[in-house]
Amino acid sequence: MNGLDQAGLARLRDGWISGGAMFEFAPVEWKEVATASNSDERERRLLAIAAQALDVALRPAAPKSLKRRLPLPVLALPMLPERLRPLLRAALKYAADARLKTRVAALVASRGFVLHPMDWMPAATDQESPDIYAPWVDWQAGADSEKQSRREDLTAETWDDFYPAARRSALIDLRRSAPALARTLIETKGASEPAEVRLALVELMRFGLGADDVPFLKSLSADRSGKVREMAGRLLARLGERGNPADGGSEDPIAELAAFIEEGKSGFIRRRTTYAPVKLKSPAQQARRADLFASCYFGDLVAHFGKTEADFIGAWQFGVDDGADLFLVRMVAASGGDAAVASLADLLAAAGGRLAILGLQLTARLDSGGKRVLIRQILNDGQNLAALNMVEGAEAGWLEWGDLAKGKTLSALRSAVSGDNDVVKRNTEQHLESIGFLATAATAEKLIGEVVAAGLPPASPSLSLLRLNAALAANPTT
Amino acid sequence: MQLDLKTIEALAPDQASLGAAAKLTKRSNWPRLEAHEQLPLIWGECQGSGSNPYRVAFDTSDHGYKCTCPSRKFPCKHILALAWIGATAPDSFARLDQTPDWVNDWLGRRRKPGQPPATAPARAEGKSIDEASRPEEAPPVEDAAATERREAAQRKRAEDTRSAVSAALDELDQWIADQLRLGLAGFVDASSERCRRIAARLVDLKATALAGRIDELPAKLMALRGEERPDAAIRELGKLVLLAKAWRAAPDDAELKRLVSASETRDQILANPDAVQVESDWEVLGEKIETRRDGLVSHATWLLDLKSSVPRFAVLLDFFPASAGRRSGAFAPGDRFKARLVFYPSRNPLRALVAERLGDAAPGAWPAFAPDAAGDPLAAYAAFQEGAPWLSDCPIILPAGAIALDEKDAAWWQAANDPHGIALPVAGSVHQTLLGIDLAATAALWNGARLELLASQSSIGRLDLS
Repeated sequence: MNGLDQAGLARLRDGWISGGAMFEFAPVEWKEVATASNSDERERRLLAIAAQALDVALRPAAPKSLKRRLPLPVLALPMLPERLRPLLRAALKYAADARLKTRVAALVASRGFVLHPMDWMPAATDQESPDIYAPWVDWQAGADSEKQSRREDLTAETWDDFYPAARRSALIDLRRSAPALARTLIETKGASEPAEVRLALVELMRFGLGADDVPFLKSLSADRSGKVREMAGRLLARLGERGNPADGGSEDPIAELAAFIEEGKSGFIRRRTTYAPVKLKSPAQQARRADLFASCYFGDLVAHFGKTEADFIGAWQFGVDDGADLFLVRMVAASGGDAAVASLADLLAAAGGRLAILGLQLTARLDSGGKRVLIRQILNDGQNLAALNMVEGAEAGWLEWGDLAKGKTLSALRSAVSGDNDVVKRNTEQHLESIGFLATAATAEKLIGEVVAAGLPPASPSLSLLRLNAALAANPTT
Repeated sequence: MQLDLKTIEALAPDQASLGAAAKLTKRSNWPRLEAHEQLPLIWGECQGSGSNPYRVAFDTSDHGYKCTCPSRKFPCKHILALAWIGATAPDSFARLDQTPDWVNDWLGRRRKPGQPPATAPARAEGKSIDEASRPEEAPPVEDAAATERREAAQRKRAEDTRSAVSAALDELDQWIADQLRLGLAGFVDASSERCRRIAARLVDLKATALAGRIDELPAKLMALRGEERPDAAIRELGKLVLLAKAWRAAPDDAELKRLVSASETRDQILANPDAVQVESDWEVLGEKIETRRDGLVSHATWLLDLKSSVPRFAVLLDFFPASAGRRSGAFAPGDRFKARLVFYPSRNPLRALVAERLGDAAPGAWPAFAPDAAGDPLAAYAAFQEGAPWLSDCPIILPAGAIALDEKDAAWWQAANDPHGIALPVAGSVHQTLLGIDLAATAALWNGARLELLASQSSIGRLDLS
């Protein structure tokens, strides 16, 4: 279409928009084709020609401002084979929320694959997905230049070459392998960052936390951000540094908290000290006690009673007040030393039942061995399988058949599946999803057979993660 | 299989369903009949009146069932026929140790698996499987005079329809002229009401297909930005003018009759010796499901011929009432199968029927189609318009490209090697991840204004985009 035609089309278009006969304004060649005895017919013929011109002769004008994103980074693991994608999609569809979907990605990553980006992508703020996805997290967050998450080492010189998620992942690795180096980076580079970034950096100090970190953490007591000061204080408390030395005054929160705890004695021959929560009289007292447990440090509390952390834990009377038990365990998780956390976890796991569930509060502080002990205990009891969902940072794909078979879990699953109670069945289906994440491929395969034999429909969507797990058998977890 | 005919008799909603099921028990109606080796499950694909086969599954233990047909009878004749074959000819079923995805999907969504089956005698009154099995009596032989009367009546009906449609097109012409006179700005603003009114007149005058098309125009306009709507109105009204002129020139043309009044039946297409037949490997590119203003849902399944050296497409088009609820299709995007398709006669044959399913086709990439000599990705669209300028949606294969965003965050497909500076606006929103993936080839529908993405090939495999 030439320029004259285009101008003619524009005239026709403008005229028809406001209404009226436009034949006289049409290009000459168009008029020749559209000639007719009746004016309506002439307009219709022109309309047909204009329609064709718009359809074929005119191309959409591409805006100059079209912006393309950088290519999605290629991850370090291969993509899940095409044949397994239907199983994966089924598992993702069944996973009710973002956390459970991330767990599916973690299981697949543990077997050496990443997901297809059209099936699942981590969110821009994701900190829970496997580290392998850090380049995609940065891409989602809008990484828009060539400094795509590089494979090189993180140093002061390369700091700016890393996007946030990749840098976080590299810092965690560095804290584990060379904590002093990582600390120096956090110290030097963090100082100029805004408060929320400083907080995220200081939070990473929990990895490989050691006595060498004390001076740096103490220096943060002068930080501008209250949250950073609080985080540093907790980390110091974990290292045995007293945060709030008790002065015994009326405004002393440690003394106030201690007043909610009753010291006693037990045993006839060897009298030993016990600590139990005082019976509270009002909701206001309960609220105040909860606040104090949340804000005080465990080291300060045990120091008030003149005990070591381990002795205090051993002397605590669990079961007197469930709320106080929970607050104490949370307090240990937040500010107790590593030894205190380990001894409390052992105590709770050995006690089993409700106390083992309480141990889940500690999982963020436990190593993989500690987490496995807790999970095995929960499976052994078979009473609170919903708690499996609450294990923070649990590893995928290690649970052996023996772990399931020797406790009460398997029989509980079988009877729930074969029973008539729909609520119990629905809960059981969620437990199967949890176990689908934890199990080895062989365990997953065997468990599918067991529950199907017990009456679960073989195509039940609740089996989808177990099926994906079993199908990934060819790729070991290591 | 624990099935007997008494059970089927009890399950049937009425005697007519049993009779219809009896006709469907012929093996030739079932390109696929399968049963699970261990589970009490049978399933199959039944060639019904739709463009693609219905998927039918039946649980022989609790008599649960699923069929993709739009019937409002439960169970439908396809379920009854499947169960009937299961009861009388169990050897017809191939034994498998696993269920296909669509059966799994159904099993997973069943509310009460494992419920005891309905008791047979309770609902058997008034229905007889023996009666349904009886061969149909041959219709009485017509004498010559009766034949003549019937044929004359048919000719009269056809003549009446043609006159009515001609009057409808006259009214449409006048209506289009009125819209131009009153102004397209006002038309765009009041398109819903104005289109509804003329569509109702067209239905009265037997131009049903055309009425449906005009009824959909307001929705098409509203999907565009305000400044684009007048151009879209010019395009669509101009196409209607051309269609009306073409019909007047050749009122017996099958394609034009289909577009203006009514479509042929499946049997008429299969019996038509002029209908193009293509036996090939096909990939399901994607689906387009739209609820129309007339209460029907149109379900288009777009296919790509994997053996053709130039891009060849087919579309399986089914309509069913929206009130029938969500209906799963016979195919999923990405499925590949071997089949013989029969195309509705047309200048650009696209709409087709699956005449015969011939098994599954191997997975893989699309053929490397030779680019148009001029390297123009819209050359196929120009050719399509030349043959039938009254049509809109044209399937095309785009060369290597990527999706980019404009300043309003609207998506555009842009050619990787951009000799013509071509970028095409994409309909709707796109999966954000797509912005970071280089597309080796893309199948899409182009309507002159918007690109509807169906599927792409990329370095990370096939992408479902429909």
